[in-house]
Amino acid sequence: MGVMDFLMQGFQTAIQPHNLFFAFIGVLIGTAVGVLPGIGPMSGVALLIPVTATFTSGMDPSAAATSSIILLAGVYYGAMYGGSTTSILLNTPGESSSVVTTLDGYQMARQGRAGAALSIAAIGSFFAGIVSIIGLVLLADPLSEIALKFGPAEYFSLMLLGLAAVSGLAGGSITKAWMMTVTGLLIATIGIDAVSGVARFTYDIPVLFGGLEFLTVAVGLFALGEVFKTVLHKEEDAEKVAKVGRVIPSRADLKESAGPIARGSFLGFFIGVLPGAGATLASFFSYIAEKKISKNPEKFGKGAIAGVAAPESANNAASGGAMIPLLTLGIPGSGTTAILMGALIMYNVQPGPLLFSDHPDVAWGLIASMFIGNLMLLILNMPLVKVFAKIIETPAKYLLPIIIAISVFGVYAVQVTTFDLFLLIGFGLAGYLLAQNDYPIAPLVLGLVLGPMIENNMRRALTTSNGDFLVFVQQPISAFFLICAVLWILIPFILRLKGKNVVVNVEG
Amino acid sequence: MQTRKFDRYASILFALLGAAFLIESRNISESAYGSEVGPNVFPFLLGLILILLSVKLFLESFKNIQKEKKNKESLQIKRFIIILTASLLYAGFIETLGYILSTFLFLYVSFQAMERGSWIKNGIIALAFSFFVYYLFVVVLEGSLPGMPIWFS
Repeated sequence: MGVMDFLMQGFQTAIQPHNLFFAFIGVLIGTAVGVLPGIGPMSGVALLIPVTATFTSGMDPSAAATSSIILLAGVYYGAMYGGSTTSILLNTPGESSSVVTTLDGYQMARQGRAGAALSIAAIGSFFAGIVSIIGLVLLADPLSEIALKFGPAEYFSLMLLGLAAVSGLAGGSITKAWMMTVTGLLIATIGIDAVSGVARFTYDIPVLFGGLEFLTVAVGLFALGEVFKTVLHKEEDAEKVAKVGRVIPSRADLKESAGPIARGSFLGFFIGVLPGAGATLASFFSYIAEKKISKNPEKFGKGAIAGVAAPESANNAASGGAMIPLLTLGIPGSGTTAILMGALIMYNVQPGPLLFSDHPDVAWGLIASMFIGNLMLLILNMPLVKVFAKIIETPAKYLLPIIIAISVFGVYAVQVTTFDLFLLIGFGLAGYLLAQNDYPIAPLVLGLVLGPMIENNMRRALTTSNGDFLVFVQQPISAFFLICAVLWILIPFILRLKGKNVVVNVEG
Repeated sequence: MQTRKFDRYASILFALLGAAFLIESRNISESAYGSEVGPNVFPFLLGLILILLSVKLFLESFKNIQKEKKNKESLQIKRFIIILTASLLYAGFIETLGYILSTFLFLYVSFQAMERGSWIKNGIIALAFSFFVYYLFVVVLEGSLPGMPIWFS
């Protein structure tokens, strides 16, 4: 069967009424998550995993996984659309991937062109979304074919490369990023060892035998950490929300932004495919690139529509591109995709090359639903942008306690122990303290998700080599990945020694 | 707390964490059926790496190349303590008090802690949320949450 047949089957899955409904809910909540400054895509997705788990509890496992991942992925790319709204109207980015959009977006709003900026952002995001899905369709099969030939040694090195990429680009201090990664890997060892069946670090406490639940840790670190931060730090006085005005962009606007949208989409897609470099870097690079190419770069920062079109397309394309390593190799390249991967594993669906042969309905259903979801987002965002702008005004005094209540509900509904609730609050506190002191959290979650797989592959590789660690260097592909991983760490380090400024990824 | 000071304490804590895993991993059986490398190797190596990284961070915290960006920001300690305590009590009593009652109490206290407001409006929102979630989850989706306490119903 060719790619088109698979895609057609995917559409058959995606247009089932309940999956359409899930995609709609996902993109709707995603847009809201993007608009609300307090919640990022990571905490949004983490918060919704338990909710989707309960919604899909009656379905058979494969269908439940499909529906959940459709919804959760919808939240992820939906947040990329919504993030622009606050950047443009309020000058406060809803997500770190929309920080660059404030530069020109807010200026446009001050000139009364907020509507045009918002609609160009939506059109750009839509185009970029479609470009990245086409890329996903074209690359999925060949990449998973290659990955199928990997043995345990190759997998171990590839995952190490993934960790190196995310840790190398996260936050200001690489030491802190690596500490977080290692802590995540260590936490993952708690519980019963999957290879030998030996209980580790459990001290005969029953709740520890299953290990610390990924869901509890992720919701605590991201969602509760954010809430505690907002509770502790006085919120700034809300700025005046700019008027939206005319939503339909003028012909001149469209003409001016066509180029930036196309370039932003392709650049963003390729940055998104790289592990570690997420939507934030993509938006940043595409803005710089547009400024370099532009005939009149002095217009940037004063309301140039290209300065909105390019980064907004790029961040959406990057979020689509980031799905490629996740689905085909089973390597999440960012915090949000790590959470998506954790959600899939909860349903016993292992992302990776076998996903396309074992669970084609999940993989192709998701890809097809992304087409539909992006279309929904375009329709939602053009006429309803004024409604979404209202969400900004949700009072924090209701929002924050309700986020805590949803976290507690979600974790309790899935885990049914109060132990996990205390764990949730504990990780919330830890998340706040760590994030406040520039310890990036995404690497910890990545380590937690990848931990068991790294360990299993390492031990399987060592078993075939009779305990000889050189096996990782002797296999050519594995050695190549390891060299890449080392370079990924060394190059920024050398650049820093030379006194160059290294761009780092703020979001995961 | 300043980031630098925090880093120093954190590096000690992380080193202790690494040491705990390192020492405890020696109690795990070394060989296991089906695997050349025992289940103790991976945590042992990681514990070692974590200790080394902590030492590096400890040394870095004295160099202080990082810019101190923190300014004097007044923290809302009081409302944070109230909400944190309320969350802990919520987690502790969710099974004895039942979902609706505990959620209502938690939300009501937290709303008031965030910003003292009309008790009727806050009460209605807290009650509506608790009932809505319980109804949706237990009645519509047929899930299970702790119901009302025995002495209440």
